[in-house]
Formats: sequence, structure tokens, C-alpha cells
Amino acid sequence: MDRRKMLALLGASPALLAGSPSYARTAPASAPDTGASVVMDRMITALNPAITPQLATRIPLAPRLDRLDGKTIYLVDTDWGGMGQNDGILDEMQAWFAEHMPAVKTIIKVKKGNFVTDDPALWKEIAEAKGDGVVLGVAG
Amino acid sequence: MSLEAGEIEQKYGIPVVAAAGSNVVSFGIGANATYNTGMPIRYVGVPFPFSGQPRSVLKGYIEGKDTVSGKPMMPAIVDGLTQPLTDQEKMSGIPPEAAPEPRLLLADTEDNLQRLFKDRGWTDYNPVILPTQERVAAMLKGTSHKPDEIVKSAAGTFGARRPFTVEKIAVLAVMAGAKPEYFPVILALASMVPYQDSTTSIAQMIVVNGPIRKEIGMNSGLGALGPDNEANSVIGRAMTLIHKVIQGYQEGVTGFASLSNPLRYDNLCIAENEEALPEGWLPLHIQMGHKPTDSIVTIFTGWNFINSTGWVEQHYAPQMLIRDYMASLSGMSATLIMDPSVADLLNDVQGFKTKAMLGEWLSQNVEKTAASYWGNSIVSSMIGPLATQGLEPYATWKKAQGETLIKPFSNPKSIHAVVVGGKTASVWFATDFTPEKGASIDAWR
Repeated sequence: MDRRKMLALLGASPALLAGSPSYARTAPASAPDTGASVVMDRMITALNPAITPQLATRIPLAPRLDRLDGKTIYLVDTDWGGMGQNDGILDEMQAWFAEHMPAVKTIIKVKKGNFVTDDPALWKEIAEAKGDGVVLGVAG
Repeated sequence: MSLEAGEIEQKYGIPVVAAAGSNVVSFGIGANATYNTGMPIRYVGVPFPFSGQPRSVLKGYIEGKDTVSGKPMMPAIVDGLTQPLTDQEKMSGIPPEAAPEPRLLLADTEDNLQRLFKDRGWTDYNPVILPTQERVAAMLKGTSHKPDEIVKSAAGTFGARRPFTVEKIAVLAVMAGAKPEYFPVILALASMVPYQDSTTSIAQMIVVNGPIRKEIGMNSGLGALGPDNEANSVIGRAMTLIHKVIQGYQEGVTGFASLSNPLRYDNLCIAENEEALPEGWLPLHIQMGHKPTDSIVTIFTGWNFINSTGWVEQHYAPQMLIRDYMASLSGMSATLIMDPSVADLLNDVQGFKTKAMLGEWLSQNVEKTAASYWGNSIVSSMIGPLATQGLEPYATWKKAQGETLIKPFSNPKSIHAVVVGGKTASVWFATDFTPEKGASIDAWR
């Protein structure tokens, strides 16, 4: 049975399946142009508004640490919300490490600029100070 | 946040765990990783809100669960720094190309296609005009540009690559109900994507200047801000569709506006009433360096839209009430949308011979408390760091006592005026909208 007829019997729209690119690709490259775009019994051929986004080149994450004991972890305040809104959470994280993992050294740093600006100088500073890991927080 | 984490991981080889609310996490490990950073940054989810919470609540968040993994928060952070990378996290290189969207949809009935367009998130959930081949072809006659010309590539949020053609915008223009003569305006709007988004109730305003206003019948007079003119309504709606389809804005996927904003239905699309400006008051586009004969569309972005309610009273000069209302704005920027009769009163009776003079006066006379100024999170986020770095006057304002009155519009050039309306009431709106650089409509004819 024709796939369109089968879908119609099931109460489904063929065009609804065009949401799946794999099915949509089976559409003819160009529909018959009757001048009114009405193709058989009130069937309409429409152009697809959707565009094809380009996928980003994949970049692997940095290798993880084998353990945290003896390591230095930077807790970096992104200053989301400005005016030290994140202080409390990072302070609580630092307190948790002190209580539960005292062999971990934690250092709190506040990112310069606002929460949407980069701070490459701080990342360099952390690397040069041989920081082992970073917890970046928080944003909402 | 993903960009910063990615930079630390990629450039310095330091493992990162990012802690954020569910919206940032969802975007960071979803669309942003797929289309922007290419890095599946490890996140932990922090309950929201955290700003303004007492320390006891924040301690509870830290002792509670990571909303992503469901594990206790701090052990989840430790795991994020120590658990070996998965195969997915080790992937590198260019991924297989995404399945291309076909140019044509399968033929179907009007009802089914309307349903499809809504289900795919291509509409504002009002019915659209279906973009048939002949309708799109007719729309394309509104420009000299070729259908396959790329208008822009970095069209997605945070500059994700979403290349789109003139024909795609013609499709959206048809869907919005546009006439071909509106098409150059819509193309100029499309050339300015991505539009700003936020979890806050940010919105845009479209202001058209120059000869095209009259050529396409835009309304800059009676009822100009209402749903009473085809060109204003349809061009504004087209921008909403561009935002959704071209930029790829999907609530809960690429955008997370908690309340959003009803202005987003038509983006406050207006044309300045240049003919009704008092002598000496320049149209917006000329203020911005364009020629009177240029047709320019300017996108403003902001949050506040405060109605004057009634008309100007004899016993209280209009600039006084405008000043009072502007004290509610953030202080970073303001745009007054005023009826020509208000502009006439300000010019003829109050002596403001230019828009700039009005801006100067308001800059010197709008006041609010320092506490109220810094109480706005947009101000504290964006201006707070400048204050911390010692930039004046912000550093002084930051040190001020909460009840100290400051003049938040320290830069008079941040106060703009757009004149529009039909002179049946001396009314105005005070907004905090900020103009971006305008785009040439003539370039898209």
C-alpha cells in the first residue's frame, strides 16, 4: 500500500513525518508546479522553513585527576549576578572540602569583568600556579 | 560558562566542573555543546534561586543533591574531576554532517501543514500563510538579491553556525503575511540575528526610519503601537519567526526566559513620525549618522515599557513626569517613545530644542537611591564589575549609603527619543530600550 494512504488510514499526516529528516529526504526534489501549488485534491506543497545548523567540531575534555588528595582546586566565582552574589555557595564548597577532604587545597578566585566576559589572565594564572582542577560556579 | 570551562580544559589541560542552574546545564550539555563549543563540559546542577538566599539555604544546596546526576552535590563534583573520560568525552574532530533539511516539505493538506509548522516550533502559534512555491517566488521579487545568497552564517545563539539564505527569509516573510515590498525590511532585520535573549524578560523593539516607511505604508501616526497596521504588524511578526526558526530559539532548549515578554509577539514594530518632529528634533537614523534619504531599521533591546497612563497636564511639565517615571529604569539606557504632541510641548513650551537637550536635562535630573540602582541584577551584573575596577562614577556609587540619591543616567547620550503617534493625546512611554547599530534597508532592495 502507498505509504501516504497507509498513514492517512491511521489518521496520521504524511507531512508530520517530515519532522524526521530521514523521511523528509524522501520527498521529490521538486514537486509538480501547477501554478497554484495545489497538488491533487487540496494537497499543498510548501517550502521548508527549517535551516540546517552546522555541528561544532568536537574537542575532547582534559584528562581527569586520579585523585584529589594533595591537589589544588580553584573555586572560581563567575560573578553571575554581580556584587558577590556567588560568595556564599563557593564559601560553602570550600568549607565542605575542609571538613570532608582536608588533603585538598582550595583557593577561591573571582573572575574579572562580568559574567559573560572571559578572563584569560585568570586561567593563565591558575595554570602557572599549577592548579590541578577548577570548579566554575555558579550561573543561572 | 561552557566557553570558559572549555578554554581552561583545552588550552591548559585542567579538568573543570561547572556548577549552574538547570537552564544553564541543559543548554551547556545540549545545544551549546552540539553547535557551539563541541565540548561536553561536566556540570553539576545547583537548585535555583541562589541569589538572595540566606547562607543556611546555600549550605543546604551544597549538602543536597546535584540536580543533574541526583548524587550528593559535593561527591558529584569530586567525581566530575576524577572519573575517567567516557568515549563521548574523548571524541575529537569534525562530526558527521547533520541531515540536511529538504527544501520542500511533503505535500499535505492545509490543516496538517499548519499543525506541522506549529509542532516544529516554526510559528508564534497563530496560523501562518503557508509558503507555497509561488508565494515565495512572489516574495523574492521584493529584492534584487538571489534566493541562494547567504544572508548570514553565525545566526544562532552565541554565534552558533546556522547559515541561512534569502529564500529562507522569503519563506518566513510569507508565513508572517508580508507583502513583497516589506521584504527588504525583513531581510535587514534578518541580517542582525542573533537577537539578544535572557532568562529575564528581555524584548526587542523595531524602529524604521527613512523613505521606506511611506513606500510600504507603515503607520507612524494614529494607533502606531497597536495592531492596526498591516506593515507594522507583519514586519514585527516576521522578526519573531526569524528569532525562532533562523536563530533557533526554543524555550527550554536554547532559551530559558522565565516569564518572557508579550512584546515578543511583534517586537514593538514602529516607524518614526519624522514629518511630525518639531524643528530641530532629528529623526533617529539621522542622529545615528545616516542620510535623510536612507531607509534604516534599528533594533532596540530592553526590558521596561512604562505607559504614561494619561496625557500631559498643565500644572506639571511633561519632562517632570518623564523624569519621575524614569527613576524606575535601570539607569543604563532609556528610550522615550512619545506622541508628537508631547514633543511639541517639550520643544515649544519647555524649550527643549533638540532631542539631545532633553537627554541632557533628564541625565541631570533623574535620581534614584544607590540601593535601588544596585538592586537591579542587570546593573549589578554589568556595572558592578566596573565599579569594582574603580571606574567612576560607579565606584563612588558602590560606596554610597543605600539611601543616597544618585543620577543613574550619567551619560546623556544613553537617553534616546522616538516620536510616533497621532496627536490625539499627549502620551508617552518610558522604556529602557537600547539601540543597536541600525541596518540599511536599501542594501536589501
